[in-house]
Amino acid sequence: MTLLEGKIGESYKVEDLTLNGMTQIRLEALGLTKGTTIKVLNNKKSGSVIFMVRGTRLAIGKKIAASIVIEGV
Amino acid sequence: MERELNVGFIGNPNCGKTTLFNAYTGAKLKVANWPGVTVEKKEGAMKYHEHKFKLVDLPGIYSLTSYTMEEKLSRQYILDDEVDVIIDIADASSLERNLYLTLQLIELGKPVILALNMMDIVEERGMEIDLHRLPEMLGVPCIPVSARKKTGLDILMHTVAHHKAKISDSNLEHHHYMMDEEKSGKHRHQHHSEYAVVYSDEIEDKIDEISARLKEAYPDLKNERWHAIKMLEQDEEIMGKYPLDLSDIVDRSYETDIINQKYDFIEEIIEEVVVNKASKAKATDRVDHILTNRFWGMPIFLGIMGIVFFLTFTVGDALKGVFEIALENFSNTVLFALSWMGAGEVFTSLIVDGIIAGVGGILSFLPNIFMLFLALAVLEDSGYMSRVAYVMDGLMGKIGLSGRAFIPMLLGFGCTVPAVMASRALEDPKDRLKTVLITPFMSCSARLPIYVLFSQLFFEKHAALAAYSMYVLGLVVGIVIALIMNTFEKKKEINTLLIELPEYKAPNVHSIFIYVWEKVKDYLTKAGTTIFVASIVVWAILNFGPNGLTTDMSQSFGAIIGKWFVPILAPAGIGLWQISLSLISGIAAKEVVVSSLTVLLNVGTINSKEGMMAMNSVLSGAGFTAVNAYALMVFCLLYTPCVATIATIRKELNSTKWAMFAAFFQLIVAWFVAVLVYQVGSLIF
Repeated sequence: MTLLEGKIGESYKVEDLTLNGMTQIRLEALGLTKGTTIKVLNNKKSGSVIFMVRGTRLAIGKKIAASIVIEGV
Repeated sequence: MERELNVGFIGNPNCGKTTLFNAYTGAKLKVANWPGVTVEKKEGAMKYHEHKFKLVDLPGIYSLTSYTMEEKLSRQYILDDEVDVIIDIADASSLERNLYLTLQLIELGKPVILALNMMDIVEERGMEIDLHRLPEMLGVPCIPVSARKKTGLDILMHTVAHHKAKISDSNLEHHHYMMDEEKSGKHRHQHHSEYAVVYSDEIEDKIDEISARLKEAYPDLKNERWHAIKMLEQDEEIMGKYPLDLSDIVDRSYETDIINQKYDFIEEIIEEVVVNKASKAKATDRVDHILTNRFWGMPIFLGIMGIVFFLTFTVGDALKGVFEIALENFSNTVLFALSWMGAGEVFTSLIVDGIIAGVGGILSFLPNIFMLFLALAVLEDSGYMSRVAYVMDGLMGKIGLSGRAFIPMLLGFGCTVPAVMASRALEDPKDRLKTVLITPFMSCSARLPIYVLFSQLFFEKHAALAAYSMYVLGLVVGIVIALIMNTFEKKKEINTLLIELPEYKAPNVHSIFIYVWEKVKDYLTKAGTTIFVASIVVWAILNFGPNGLTTDMSQSFGAIIGKWFVPILAPAGIGLWQISLSLISGIAAKEVVVSSLTVLLNVGTINSKEGMMAMNSVLSGAGFTAVNAYALMVFCLLYTPCVATIATIRKELNSTKWAMFAAFFQLIVAWFVAVLVYQVGSLIF
């Protein structure tokens, strides 16, 4: 599943990032590396998601959320 | 005499870097731009014991790649030997993410001192950081500070003074054997006593090989290890600077591997040095639950903006009254002094009707502008601004923009120039172009005096509402234009919001004071320069005509120029030569519209009841009604931005063509909307 389907309050493990390019590098630099645990804090119908990674809250849009492959922990 | 030490402040956004910088320099800082780019550069000086320091505030960044302007110039600044010591400010309450930049800085090979900021918050949460072990693992001094509570500041500067020549050295002590054998054990390399971050054998082999070749090809190169790592990441800037055939080693970009391994090391550090890390701040999540709620988020945001504008008008206007009395007294004193000195009529007219009426009129709006910037500073410093990006993301997605594009638009209510610069945070060039083109439609504070004046003149009780409607209209026009651009776009990109949401905090009074003071100073400088000059020019072209000095303004050069444009502006109900001339002068700075009009309509001062009445009667005499006034306000809202904005657009988009387009495009939009408002308005009222 992708982060788009993440449920508020649940934790997930990052399986893969399918973005490539600069945005992917930026996400990785922010600590969103493969195997990291993230916690979904908000998920709106429009696809914008807030999640916690390595002690930081990040807000992302639909396109990025759809490219983060996650797995329940 | 000891040489001045150059100290660079660097850190992630929201790590409290600016608060710390301000704690050292106070309001005495020099703000300029980095050469060639519109990134702000702040400099301050300070003395500590016998040492003199020059402090430079580098942009807030997450990493040191060459993808963004900010990262590139920070990196270049550090590499170019311009800096003696780097203070890396890390938010100790969010150490894991912050250490990533730290590791990159250490790799650069310059003396680094890690300032662990927000130690007060760390303690509050019951977390503990092993300050003995952390420097051992990083090989750099780690100093606990709190910029907000001003603790640890002296110790940090003391460390700077004594650490200036040291590069991370043999103090390194790692216990990698404790870790997973597969992951980081069995290093063939003996790098652990030299470098904080040691990569896998595969990467270390490559680094050694590239380093050796770099050393051979460029014997003067310092820190070939860092350059080798960048080559492995296929960093375009470094590869271009030091061309070297490495196709046999660098078969692909190892950037992701390098990032991952840095984070592996960070996990190792956190494991060893952070105690009680489980207790996280719950307060921010609770607040976010409401403020970013899918139903309540938007109404709450609109409510907050409503309060901001309410404060701007009510509190601002109350303070304005005090200002006006002071200015009128000043004007009368000058008039008295000039006549006592026996100054000539022309000179007195220049001083009183030209300069004091023009510049003074503008100064009286300072309280409104002060309130607006104060409110924007509080929104920003509290951490709410980035939530707005999330709240607006869905809606902005509909016009083909990311929620992040809303921040420049919001900042545009303050001043268009920094707002246009803020659009830089958008990664997609198309998003940036669109945002830059619609941001000037957001009503900036310089346009506020125009609304305040005309709404008070013609709308009496509904003055605040009339002025507020300008902000809404600007927003609507911006959105409609973005929508139109979006329909013409062939390839529809889905928005790409990516923004950090910092912890909420009580705004720091000192930081806000400095921020607002900077803006007020800008406004005052503008009043003293651009508006001062514009006032003199307007006065001059009004008092001189083809036949030399004239007392009849309608025979002046100004009237001649203004009259050319009357037929064009007539359909919008603003076909008075005085108005067309003041609109032209308003391109210098939007406030000038007001200062020119006071001079043009010969009302002396608008800072009094009598002055206002005089202006009202002059305009009413020319058949000016509330509909005309509203059309004028609309035109002022939308037409060609000020020169400073046009220059900023040119610089940000790196295109004269687009800057010119923005100027003419807005003029056309303004004309159409103003004509529409006037024609429809005249039918109804």
